[in-house]
Amino acid sequence: MFFLSLYRIIKFSLQDLSRNIWLSIVTVMILILALFSINMLLVVKVIGDAAVGAIKDKIDISLYLKPDADETAIAALKAQLGNLSEVKSVTYVSKEEALNIFQQNNSDNPEILQALRELGKNPLTPTLIIQPKNADLIDNLTHELDRVDSSIIDSRNFTDYKTMLDKINAVTDKVTKAGLILSAIFIFITLMVIFNAIRVAIYTHNMEINIMRLVGAPNSFIYLPFLVSGLFYTLFGVLIIILLFYPFLSLLQPYLEAFFVGYNINLVDYFNRHFLEIFGGEFIGIAAINILAGWWAARRYAQA
Amino acid sequence: MIKLFNVYKSYTPEIQVLKDVNLHIKPGEFVSIVGVSGSGKTTLVKAMIGEEKINEGKIVVGGWDITDIGNKEVPYLRRQIGVIFQDFKLLPKKTLFENTAFALEVCGQSSKRIRDIIPRVMKIVGLEDKMDRYPHEVSGGEKQRAAIARALVHSPKVLLADEPTGNLDAINANEIIDLLSHINKFGTTVVLVSHNKEIVNRLNRRVITIDNGSIVSDRERGKYLL
Repeated sequence: MFFLSLYRIIKFSLQDLSRNIWLSIVTVMILILALFSINMLLVVKVIGDAAVGAIKDKIDISLYLKPDADETAIAALKAQLGNLSEVKSVTYVSKEEALNIFQQNNSDNPEILQALRELGKNPLTPTLIIQPKNADLIDNLTHELDRVDSSIIDSRNFTDYKTMLDKINAVTDKVTKAGLILSAIFIFITLMVIFNAIRVAIYTHNMEINIMRLVGAPNSFIYLPFLVSGLFYTLFGVLIIILLFYPFLSLLQPYLEAFFVGYNINLVDYFNRHFLEIFGGEFIGIAAINILAGWWAARRYAQA
Repeated sequence: MIKLFNVYKSYTPEIQVLKDVNLHIKPGEFVSIVGVSGSGKTTLVKAMIGEEKINEGKIVVGGWDITDIGNKEVPYLRRQIGVIFQDFKLLPKKTLFENTAFALEVCGQSSKRIRDIIPRVMKIVGLEDKMDRYPHEVSGGEKQRAAIARALVHSPKVLLADEPTGNLDAINANEIIDLLSHINKFGTTVVLVSHNKEIVNRLNRRVITIDNGSIVSDRERGKYLL
């Protein structure tokens, strides 16, 4: 009896979908637009997070050492710094390596190279490049570095990093807040769209609902096909958005790679890794909204 | 079969739609309820099928006191009383077969039983060749026949017909009344609500006249008086 009723509810729902095909198409299209907006927001968030993360990853602190610093003392200092809890890695760049890097970086600037030749000696100092475990720890790290007592340290001016980090953190916070506000707006719009689509469907089916009551249909037979239709709309909407969004991401990827040269931002890979969370979550979320909106609209607009 | 005891119904304190209505319709009767528009005929029908709650009095259908019937019990009452209306009330996106079958599907009848019953009922109403058509593909008379078929699938003891010929021409109207008479001969109580004088007079059966919410006449072999 239960399975027979379930079968008939699904049958009525599918019949309703196919025989009101234009209403169904319009409803699914509205859902697709809403889902596209949500996924675009996600793409923006992924790009933003990846860009900010990449920038943070590039942040390091250079500790300039005295030109005549002894290699043993440098190695000891490097080991000492490597033991600090905030430090991810310490890289030693000798005077010669520093000069090579400088020359490579300025290979297209003959005036600087000429000035370097005229100087007749290597003006650069050996450097310890310290990368923090987490960019947020850089404040603590600079405090720690200030406290390191070593006679071979030539310069320890970290002020610029703090300013830059504060700016990055401010931008990150703003992006996160804007993302949350935009997400809330899109979710609200989606909710309204679905609720109104179901309300319109029930309004246009008002006569049918009254007829169903007339022939003795219980409430389950009247309401459930609408809710099942909502589930089908959600399923079709999510399936179509998957089919549309992956080619869209593939089209977007080369432009992203060109824009963020050197950063590893792969949207297709991100959506693949989070496929179930993203599309499963969207299906469950939209379906839940559909069911709630449908149930409310049915009770509100399908009264005898 | 249907008993109404001192039934009162009002929508506002000033407007009394039904006033002290007392009525007893016996099993197997063919009763016409007549009256001008706004006299309370349709409200009376709605009260009998649990669509309108009355303010005072008591209504008993087939031994079941439906005066304070709950919303969950209404579907079961509707399966015991067949109802047809002037505007047919067929589901436009279902074929005549599906419209008729729907009444059985919603109460859990098996598909096999539905396939057995529907062709037989369709034959009774003369639609055995048009079962697969949609309502917009058949005439008004055929729509009303389909509505009658749907009302009959539960083998109801009572068939309420609220202005069933209101949208039909004279020939189709007479055919529908003949069909109702035919159904009545098999033992189904038929309550016909109409303001069609010719039809009521041609039937020459019991006629209850309502005026301004009250029964003003109840005659065993009556005529349309108003």
